[in-house]
Amino acid sequence: MNQNKNMLAGHKQQLLTELTAGASREELIWINGYIAALVSGNELPVTDDAVRVTTAQKITLVYGTETGNSKRVATDLAAKAKKKQLQVKLASLDQYRLTDLSREENLFVVISTQGDGEPPVAAQKFYDHIHKNGFRLDKTKFSVLALGDTSYPLFCKTGEEVDAQLEKLGGKRIVPIRKCDVDYENDADAWFEEILQSLNQQPVTHSAGVPVTVKADTKSNKKIYTGTIVGHVNLNDTGSDKETYHIELLADDVDYLPGDSIGIVPENPSAIVEQILTVSGADRNTIIAFKDASYSLFDLLKKKVAVIYLHERVVKKYASIVQQEIPEMKMDLLTLLQLYPLQNKEQFADVAAILPAQSPRIYTIASSPSAHDGEVHLTVEKYVFTVNDETKYGLCTDYLSGLSIDTQFDFFVQKNKRFRLPAADKNVLMIAKSTGIAAFRSFLSERDATGATGKNWLFFEEEKFTTDFLYQTELQDWYQTGVLNGISLAFSKDGAEPLYVQDKLRAHGKEVYAWMVSGGYVYVCGEKDPMSVEVEKELLSIIETHGGLAADKAKAYFEQLKEEGRYSKDVY
Amino acid sequence: MSDKSPIERIKEASDHLRGTLKESLQDEITGAIREDDQAVVKFHGMYQQDDRDRREERAAKKLERLYTFMIRLRLPGGFLTPEQWIAVHDIAGENSTGVIKITSRQTLQLHGILKSNIKPTIHSFSQAKLDSIATCGDINRNVLCSSHPKESAIHGQVFAYADKISQLLMPKTKAYYEVWLDEEQLLDKKEEEDPLYQDRYLPRKFKIAIAIPPNNDVDVFANDIGLIAVIENDVLKGFNIAIGGGLSSTHGNAETYPRLATLIGFADTEEKVLKAVYEIATIQRDYGNRSDRKLARLKYTVDKYGIDWYKAELEKRTGFALAPVADYTFNSRKDHFGWHPNHEGLWYYTAFVENGRILDEGNIQLKTALLEIAKTGKANFRFTCNANVIISDVAEADKKEIDTLLATYGVARNTEVSSVIRKNAMACVAFPTCPLALAEAQRYLPSLIDKIEGLLQKNALGNEEIIIRMTGCPNGCARSYAAEIGFVGTAYGKYNMQLGGDRIGERLNKIYKENIEEPEILATLDTLFANYAANRNLHETFGDFSIRQKWVSA
Repeated sequence: MNQNKNMLAGHKQQLLTELTAGASREELIWINGYIAALVSGNELPVTDDAVRVTTAQKITLVYGTETGNSKRVATDLAAKAKKKQLQVKLASLDQYRLTDLSREENLFVVISTQGDGEPPVAAQKFYDHIHKNGFRLDKTKFSVLALGDTSYPLFCKTGEEVDAQLEKLGGKRIVPIRKCDVDYENDADAWFEEILQSLNQQPVTHSAGVPVTVKADTKSNKKIYTGTIVGHVNLNDTGSDKETYHIELLADDVDYLPGDSIGIVPENPSAIVEQILTVSGADRNTIIAFKDASYSLFDLLKKKVAVIYLHERVVKKYASIVQQEIPEMKMDLLTLLQLYPLQNKEQFADVAAILPAQSPRIYTIASSPSAHDGEVHLTVEKYVFTVNDETKYGLCTDYLSGLSIDTQFDFFVQKNKRFRLPAADKNVLMIAKSTGIAAFRSFLSERDATGATGKNWLFFEEEKFTTDFLYQTELQDWYQTGVLNGISLAFSKDGAEPLYVQDKLRAHGKEVYAWMVSGGYVYVCGEKDPMSVEVEKELLSIIETHGGLAADKAKAYFEQLKEEGRYSKDVY
Repeated sequence: MSDKSPIERIKEASDHLRGTLKESLQDEITGAIREDDQAVVKFHGMYQQDDRDRREERAAKKLERLYTFMIRLRLPGGFLTPEQWIAVHDIAGENSTGVIKITSRQTLQLHGILKSNIKPTIHSFSQAKLDSIATCGDINRNVLCSSHPKESAIHGQVFAYADKISQLLMPKTKAYYEVWLDEEQLLDKKEEEDPLYQDRYLPRKFKIAIAIPPNNDVDVFANDIGLIAVIENDVLKGFNIAIGGGLSSTHGNAETYPRLATLIGFADTEEKVLKAVYEIATIQRDYGNRSDRKLARLKYTVDKYGIDWYKAELEKRTGFALAPVADYTFNSRKDHFGWHPNHEGLWYYTAFVENGRILDEGNIQLKTALLEIAKTGKANFRFTCNANVIISDVAEADKKEIDTLLATYGVARNTEVSSVIRKNAMACVAFPTCPLALAEAQRYLPSLIDKIEGLLQKNALGNEEIIIRMTGCPNGCARSYAAEIGFVGTAYGKYNMQLGGDRIGERLNKIYKENIEEPEILATLDTLFANYAANRNLHETFGDFSIRQKWVSA
């Protein structure tokens, strides 16, 4: 390697030179300003392992499978590529986000053909999509591995069609299509070898995202990003008692690290806002000042202030406005208006003034900056509860679960410096229940993308295996490609007796203790009580049992783990 | 292609069908078992399947396919006691979809069993003295026998052969008991040395059926070995032996074809019959194709080496010569619906079960009816090769009680009012669970029959017992190639229409129209039925008429 005496590593120096060489004066001034803004914020990465690997080539390997052969081939090839320090995004075509296509730089497709010459069912949407017009793949390099069976007349027809169509859309074929018969292993390896060679000869290119103006919240100095929903799916299957949404946001230049959260200010349901307006008789278009800005009354009620489950303090203020006796308890604004009506509609201006600002809800990020460039993913469980026999939903989770693709909303990043991945070679033991998996999907994505060598072991609890195993196929892929070294699952509603994550910890107590004493890092994410309480009890008991320590000594060891930053939790 | 197929390597490496099944059951990250074990588990009577209707949606949810298992019982001749029926009923309710499926091979299978529920299911079966050993896989499968005791005064004597043959061709491995029932591991491996199957088992599935003329309800010629009982004056004289039947084929592979078994001779004693059956299997074991599974059934071995060679090799191995084929006559291939007595005066009620699916649906509370009948303890249960159930061995005195139950739960009425065409029809499972299905079958056939009934009525053919069968792929589980009108799925919504099969199962059908959808199916049948109604000879079956009209070649 060419040692460079500059501050910047060789490739960065090269990028900077490339970036500045042909730039106009105006562009240089803009870049200068952009970088200055970055420096003045305290959002810069602080540790080495957090520096994103940008040297590795990124490839996307997608497969369309009917019998599982294509999946097998693609998974094997992905594992090989990872060993060669390539960043690989592996996806089944039925899970691949089609809107990502035009952003792919290196796209490799493994696809089989059905007996009648048709694509596998799982690849049908992709197949149809690439046969539509309206987008180009001008910056995409691609190649296709077609699986088939020569005893059928339309041998590898789907592969051929995909290959031709990707070229038609502007893609650059870097390796010719390879068609394989039922014994495909050698052909697949040879195909991939050719790709790797071809990639080695290609210069590393980076398509820099276009910087966007980032709004700043003047008070908290937090950057406010606008995210656009590009993926939204309920991860629980029919028959589950839960609804857990996986939400993917596109947010250019969003800056976070695995372990961070985002804050979202939820909007109030329009139906409720409308009812408030009707019952109060207030004019929706009245302009009202609120915290250095002005809003229409409708916007204020919808986006800025809390109207549900108002604090006793607020209820008391309302009582003094309407001059009525109202019990001191939490109440919705609508209920107040209905039970204790305003004396006149003009009073509503006073009521609006007492409404507290809507507070942000915090969600742990489920994506990783290295694996999901320019994106933030969330895992949000729709919170359902019952009040007086009436089913109610958590305001923000209800809001998020009801959003549709292309909706935009603002958020900020909430740093969590106490919940960070350790150095790349350290072992990590992760314990999660339900949405707590979010942090570890982020961790695993990051460690996968950066090729971290430390081992990873996940303990995960949910209700039912067939319907509630969040991110099952992703975890399986990580397990098969060696990113995830261990996975221990507890499904609390499957057996006659409930099984919890602490039970699985106990069952693996000896190994868990071995991970701890050999320098491993332990993380807990998800429900605070009882999950994290029970997990801590169990960890203490494991230290006692397998470390042969008395209770006080075990406790001291556990405290030591915390001090060393080897035990962290993000619980709620 | 002389290399052994991958399945052959899996069998040999499986340590007598243990594979890594125990490890597969421990893999908590997936509801599937390991790939090699998916081949091994078939020998234990199970298929791994998944709900194909749900694949796309679950993939979007980042959930794997909804894997479940189908378990098929070993019921030689298709017989259950009432206690056993109650056990199957309860197990089906707890661990499966709840539907009990009568197969086209006289047994029962349950679908939708999660990996974690397999062991409890097999354990419950075991307590009812039931097992699923060798009901799938490259091994002798469930042995069939003409189901209705009224066929002959010595039905019981012939029926006993089904169990004898099943026992004779059982694998010696104790893997089933170790893996599923947690029995102790064998210390002395010699106990499971298997002179018949060795460590390679058969090249492909192996099917045996026993027919009692004149009814060929078992489709005896569709089997690798067909035995036809020869009975004179209520005395069993022996069996005609036919070999090389098998209906599966592969679309687009001209080397594959359905084939009816060829008669090779007659054996008179039990010892000789069993010996012959055993050695027919050993020849197939030694000479069957082990490199290409599509060409591995006994029928291809017969056609490769010649029927004379096979017979000569058999006589060499058994040490006796087969006698010439004895006279026999088949005149039907059907179930005897309703009440019929046997020679001793015991009563039998054959109830119509559409596509073999036992469930409670609308006014037809078949599942409840069978449970209530079983609870009386006054009837046994037999299953037919047309996937119907016979309430069996009912004493004259108990007949009324059973009759009342059949009426109460709508079973009698359904059996009486269903058209003959519907009662003779059969479809395989296909979607959503069968991984091989190209087109719908059991979910679709009932609605197609509704429309065909209309066409037959229109042409005044409502009482014709035309045999219609449908399979969702060319493998022929519902024996569609041996139907007068066969539908073989080629792609979703598309079928090859096959004509010219005879009514008694001695002539296969041939392709009449390829890849047609429902409108064309109905339009075609309408024309054919009109022609048949106008131009048929007296008693001429639709299958025979199809040949005479040269719609297909004979």
